[in-house]
Amino acid sequence: MSDFRESQNEAHPNKTNTLITGIIMLLILFVLIQIWFLFGALNNALQENLNFAITTAIGSIVFALASFWLLRYLPEPIKRKKKK
Amino acid sequence: MSKDPNSEIPKWKQDFPIEQKEATHVSRREFAKFLTLFSGALAIGNTAIVVKSFAFPEKPLEGIHPICMESEVAEGESFQFEIQGSKTIPYLLINLGNGEWRAFEQKCTHLSCAVKYRHDLGQIECPCHKGYFNPRTGDVIQGPPPRPLPQLEVVIQEGQIFVKAQNA
Repeated sequence: MSDFRESQNEAHPNKTNTLITGIIMLLILFVLIQIWFLFGALNNALQENLNFAITTAIGSIVFALASFWLLRYLPEPIKRKKKK
Repeated sequence: MSKDPNSEIPKWKQDFPIEQKEATHVSRREFAKFLTLFSGALAIGNTAIVVKSFAFPEKPLEGIHPICMESEVAEGESFQFEIQGSKTIPYLLINLGNGEWRAFEQKCTHLSCAVKYRHDLGQIECPCHKGYFNPRTGDVIQGPPPRPLPQLEVVIQEGQIFVKAQNA
C-alpha cells in the first residue's frame, strides 16, 4: 500500500529534482554573499571601521541560520521498494 | 598450476566489499549539507574578526621615538626603521629635500608588500602590483592599494630625527 509521500513522488518525479536544485542554488547564493561580507569586513577592520565588521558579522550569521533552516526542506532520497 | 583468484584478495576485503564508485560518490544531498557547513564556517570567521577587534584593539603609537641623525639620510634617500609596539611595524623615513621629511608605514595597504621611495619618479612605489603613493601625503596615486599609507609626524631637534603619531 502506498502512502501520501510515495504517491506524491510517483505522480511528480521531477518535483524532488526541482526542490533540491532550488535549495542548492539558494545555498550557493548565501555562501557567495557571505564571502563578499567576509572580504569587506577584513578590509574595513584593517581601517578600524568596526561598525561595518559588526553589521556583516550579523548578516553572515543570519545567512548561516537560513542555510541550516533550508536543510529542513531537503527531500529524502526516494527509496527503492523492497522486493518481496 | 593456476592460482585461486580469491586467494589474492585479502580476507577483510572479501568480507566488506565496497565499490570505489559507491565510496567516492557525492550526492546532491551531501553537497547541500557541505554548503551549509561552509556557510556556518564563514559566519564564524566573520564573527571572529569582530571578537578580535574588541579583544585585541590596536594601540596607537605612543611617545616620541628617536630614529637617526639628519646627516645620515641624504636628499632623495630613504631610511628604514622599526618601532616596537603591540606589534613591530616597519616604517620608511624619506628625505624629500628642502628640509621636508616624511615617515610612512612600509607596508602597502593592498597586500602588505614593502614599499620603497623612488626619487627619480618622486613617488613611493609598491613593486608587487605597481601601486604608487604620493610621498608627501601618502595618498594613492595609481594601482590597487585601497587606502593611503599610514603616516607618522617627523620632528627634528638639534639635528636628530624623531617620529611620533600624527596629532599626538
